Amino acid sequence: MTQESHRMNRRTVLRGGGIALALPFLSSMSRAASLVAKVQQPKRMLISYISYGVYDPPTKDKTCHEWSWYPRHDSGPITLNKASAPFESVKDSITYLRGLDHPGGYGLGGHSSGDVFATAADMCGADNTNNISIDQLAAKVAGHHTRYPSLVLGSEGGTGSYGMSKTLSHYGPGQPVPALEKPQEIFNRLFRPYANHTVEDVRARLKREASVLDLMKENYRSLHGKLGADDRRKMDEYLDSVRAIEQRVERTSKWTHEELPKIDTKGLNLEATYHQPTEYMRCMYDLIYLAFQTDSTRFATFMTESESSTGNLVGNFPNMLFGYKGGTHDIAHNRPEDASGEWEKWRAEQHAYFLKRLRDTPEGDGTMLDTTVVLWGSAHPHGSHSTKDYPLQIAGGNQLGFKHGRLHNFEGARKKPLSNVFVSMLNAVDVPVEKFADSTGELTEILA
Amino acid sequence: MPPLVAGNTLICSTFESNAAYGGRTKKGPAGTHLDRTPRIPIPMSCFLKSYKAAALLMALVAGMGNLEALAAEESLVGGSAPGPPPPIPAGESGHRSHVQPFFTTYCIRCHGAEKTKGEMTLHTLDGDLASGAGGELDRWERILEVLDDGEMPPEDEKQPTAVERAAVQAWIDQGMRDHVAKASDAIAAPLARRLTNFEYENTMRDLLGIDLELIKDLSQDPQKPYQFNNSAEFMLLGPDQLDRYLKTARRALASAIVDPEKPKVHRQSWTFEPTGPAFATAQPDEIAVYTGGSGRKGTAVITSWPETGEYRIRIKAAAILPPGFKDVPLRIVMGSILRGDAGTGDYTPVGTVHLTNDVEHLQDFEFRGRIENHPIQVGEVTKDGQEPATRHIYCQNLYDNGRLNDNSVNHFDTAWQFSVPRAVVRSIEFEAPVVDTWPPEHHTRILPASPLRSADPDAYVRNVLKSFITRAYRRPTSPDEVDRFLKIYKMLEPEFDSLEATMRETLATVLVSPQFLYHTVAADGLTTPDYEMASRLSYFLRGSMPDQELLSLAAAGQLDDPGVIQSQVRRMLADERARDFVRNFTMQWLSIEKSRTVNINRNLFPRFLYLVPNGERTGQEQLYRPTIRDYLIDETVGFIGELIRRNASVLTIVDSDFAWLNEPLASHYGVDGVHGLRFRAVPVARDAKLGGLPTQGSVLVGNGTGSAPHPIYRAVWLREAILGDEVPPPPAEVPALSDKAGESVASATTIKDLLRIHRTEEACNDCHVRLDPWGIPFEEYNAVGQYQPMIPKNGAVVRRYQANVDGTLDGYRKYLETVNTVKVDASARIPNGPEVTGMRDLKDYLLSDRKEEVAENVIRRLLAYGIGRPLTYHDRYAVEALLDECKQGEYPFQDIIVAICSSELFRTPTRATRP
Repeated sequence: MTQESHRMNRRTVLRGGGIALALPFLSSMSRAASLVAKVQQPKRMLISYISYGVYDPPTKDKTCHEWSWYPRHDSGPITLNKASAPFESVKDSITYLRGLDHPGGYGLGGHSSGDVFATAADMCGADNTNNISIDQLAAKVAGHHTRYPSLVLGSEGGTGSYGMSKTLSHYGPGQPVPALEKPQEIFNRLFRPYANHTVEDVRARLKREASVLDLMKENYRSLHGKLGADDRRKMDEYLDSVRAIEQRVERTSKWTHEELPKIDTKGLNLEATYHQPTEYMRCMYDLIYLAFQTDSTRFATFMTESESSTGNLVGNFPNMLFGYKGGTHDIAHNRPEDASGEWEKWRAEQHAYFLKRLRDTPEGDGTMLDTTVVLWGSAHPHGSHSTKDYPLQIAGGNQLGFKHGRLHNFEGARKKPLSNVFVSMLNAVDVPVEKFADSTGELTEILA
Repeated sequence: MPPLVAGNTLICSTFESNAAYGGRTKKGPAGTHLDRTPRIPIPMSCFLKSYKAAALLMALVAGMGNLEALAAEESLVGGSAPGPPPPIPAGESGHRSHVQPFFTTYCIRCHGAEKTKGEMTLHTLDGDLASGAGGELDRWERILEVLDDGEMPPEDEKQPTAVERAAVQAWIDQGMRDHVAKASDAIAAPLARRLTNFEYENTMRDLLGIDLELIKDLSQDPQKPYQFNNSAEFMLLGPDQLDRYLKTARRALASAIVDPEKPKVHRQSWTFEPTGPAFATAQPDEIAVYTGGSGRKGTAVITSWPETGEYRIRIKAAAILPPGFKDVPLRIVMGSILRGDAGTGDYTPVGTVHLTNDVEHLQDFEFRGRIENHPIQVGEVTKDGQEPATRHIYCQNLYDNGRLNDNSVNHFDTAWQFSVPRAVVRSIEFEAPVVDTWPPEHHTRILPASPLRSADPDAYVRNVLKSFITRAYRRPTSPDEVDRFLKIYKMLEPEFDSLEATMRETLATVLVSPQFLYHTVAADGLTTPDYEMASRLSYFLRGSMPDQELLSLAAAGQLDDPGVIQSQVRRMLADERARDFVRNFTMQWLSIEKSRTVNINRNLFPRFLYLVPNGERTGQEQLYRPTIRDYLIDETVGFIGELIRRNASVLTIVDSDFAWLNEPLASHYGVDGVHGLRFRAVPVARDAKLGGLPTQGSVLVGNGTGSAPHPIYRAVWLREAILGDEVPPPPAEVPALSDKAGESVASATTIKDLLRIHRTEEACNDCHVRLDPWGIPFEEYNAVGQYQPMIPKNGAVVRRYQANVDGTLDGYRKYLETVNTVKVDASARIPNGPEVTGMRDLKDYLLSDRKEEVAENVIRRLLAYGIGRPLTYHDRYAVEALLDECKQGEYPFQDIIVAICSSELFRTPTRATRP
């Protein structure tokens, strides 16, 4: 087993998440798990999101449109079509999934199920609020290996709000993690965290912050003792928040003793903005790549677009790229054949660019792609604004127990919760879990 | 049949209480009305009232038969005059003997082990209501409501007699009453709720004495349609937010506490000469209607400013008014470069003046504001390096007659421009910071000048902290509380080079302490219920911390005096800060924010949006002037504010004899004789198509598709916002209704037809049969909120709108006449009610048959907002009492607010009022 798993000396259930962290030796050791155990390189995970579903027009004979986002309709080995052509050179590292989704997002409406894409929370039912996302769970359990527990990006930045999330990541109920959207700022946070200060200055400041935080906790405790039980429970959120900041201070402090990675910024256009969609998207993917490559973090999410992007330029990318008269929302409603095709191809090109960069970077006895599992998709299908049957592609992680090259169709009687994929992804990156949200097991079909 | 146990006293109290609540129907009426089992549509409210007297009479009559006997008796009397229900023994025995058999006969088929329609099952219910066991009282309340409303059983199912029904209602009501009476002390909803962003920004403004825009730096608060977000459930806190609070506090304190030395004052001025080149159509100092987007006219580029501070902008201005015009509104904005045709630019308003003086009599106008609130234009990087940042002042002529989007009118049309008002701006002066008094008041309120500062610095710092913390906590502080921050101050002192800098950082930690970020809770033992009350009143009616007067009253222990509460409530409602409350409350209550984002179909409504006439953004929305959309929100918020100001009956929300309009809106609705941008009450006739909330554009646009009206959205709105029902979202397995209705005039299918198709599916029919009829009368109003009784013929193929032919006002009118040829079908049978045709009928029906429901809804909304938590069955009897109390004068708005604030529930929200 990997050395850190002994830290969890008993099964831990994280509050509110319906997550059972498993002791690895208690769960039956699958073939996949034994594969994972052998890998010594960092194991990484990215979840990347595209908005408003994809082009996948229904056909009578269950064939697939040449411009469909999916390369085929039913289960079977894949041959790429026009829209998925950009993935040709990484074809052996991708799998398409059809018919999976999060039942917890059904009631959210056609502009909102993206909220639960990475959390599987039952937002309209028992929870009434979002809950922890898989990257943040991974960060909690295994984030201490790297300078940053996770990297949360989104083209539109911030958290958005209930039903209009602009981030995929959540620490827990009511605690969205704000997404970063400005390349220069992301770069500075990752690789120039001390700005113009010396490490000594930074350490002194952190020490001071820690003392102030101690006093804030003291202040909180003086209040806490005088409150009723319900208020106390409610106010624990406050203490949890202070503690989280405290941990971050401790962690930053610890990492000041480690050298910062040297980054070659050649070819990195940190000035890219929405006005150059392709450059912008590549730059964001480059930053994730660099964060992984330097082992600055192992867990990332990237909301490339949200369902509330109609209010900003991100929703207008098709217009800026190839002059389509409407935005992404308009494409979703009307699914015009030509514009949809172009749009899918462009989106595929950006994502494929990232996968290829990983594939082109040798590491251990394989490439970075072999030890990075990447989920890409949307919380809506072709049908305008439906909240079911997410289009999904899972890539990489060939050394982490995933097998690729096929499409698996889970429609109808074969229906399973998407959170089963999450369980498999988490287990692949050394975050052993038995259950996540509404999962019913692992998704064995995609495992070696 | 088991014998009935009945004591006269019990019967009497049962019926008294039930009758007192008679006609009250919280959840909406929603019986199914299929034609198979016609029933005389007598609203339950009438029915309940009619048996009130009979119930009292009957209570005197001893000896009760069983259900069948009573049913027989009823038939003797005649079905239309139901007798009083028999009492069912309280508690579990009555449940076993009567209630459960009732359910088995009438309900279990759909709500039992086999089917669970509406996610409601009755077979597992525990009959011991009084103990509240099993957490089933929410379910019992729902059952009581659907029985009260006559919503269940559906009309095409087997019906209980009125007597049976009333007996079960009385049994449930009594059980709940007993439970609430017993359990009222035990309610423990958390009171510790974080300030909402709206409350936070206002509190910072009142605490620090400077008006800074802070919300944009915080995480957005959650919003759920028709729900208030100021509850503990929604106001969560996470590490990211705490982080942002700290950053925001630091930023605000950097503005609030200045450095001691008098700063350099930045000044710039610009003049505009009225003598332009000969070919110029308008002179360089003139601001015409379309000049505000870009260009050099009335534009000033500021190149230096202090990082924080108050600014002063002076302009010398006048109006050029063609005959018939009284004034021209001139707005000053400041921010980044505004490129109207590129659609870029980020600015905030400085102020607006209505100019009336002519050019011979130029006048000076002064504006003040905080420089921090205005966006900066970052300099470009050129081959010579980074250019400096700038801020740009723009003068905008906001004249708007509601017809600016006439295709023939744009800034190339000088004849038109000269026929409407222009503004003249001869000069602009900018100065910052304002140093009339230095240090400014907002500084000295934290750091007063005092000899103590040099004589005994420690004592000075302690005083400063005590005074600030006391105000920030909105209650007295203990020495311990102050000491803790003194410790922080001491810890920070060596790292900062001045008292000011150390104090900024120390006070920032005060502003992230829970005592500041959460609502004041008396239970913390450090304060009295009076301070809690002062805060609750203030956050309710001003959305901010209590002012000095409230805090003094709290200190004197007078906030439990009903007379004091009453006068304070009226004082606060008369204050202009009440506007913040009205806006925040109204936006959430009516859920009208979405009217801002509905995508309007420009082919069908080419004149609704103000579009860029030329340039690369041709056809997109103008960014630099308020539009009809913005005014629609102002209309609704202003309307509610006016009702409160007048202490008008809350029933006025259904229909009113005035509309709240300005000129652009009046033009949009087709009302003549309204001039200028100021909103005012415009009298409207009874048969006019305006009045009340249901005909306001914010409601109609927000609940349309942008192409067509959407009767479902509008029905949901009516039932949620006006009648106070909770309409469940469509279940996931139900296929969506096509939203293609009316999307293009070429393939017109009326939504009514689509709904008919939709209803043929049983899963859809269960809900829609109770929902659709409420939305159909709204069909007389189109997707942009105008009365439009004519629509294209079903299935007709009509000519597309062509800007070059149909662009003018006349052309557009003719175009509409050729397209819209048939009268819209706006008639529907209200569930449990009569047939209504159109909005007029619907309003009349609501005002005659649904009064109490509307009033109760408004009371519930205000109460939930005021106490900051959703209401539960525990609050049922408190609401009942308020409804009774405010009946006088048909529920006057202000009086309701006074009654709420004086109620026990508001004053001690931990406890529900005993029935």
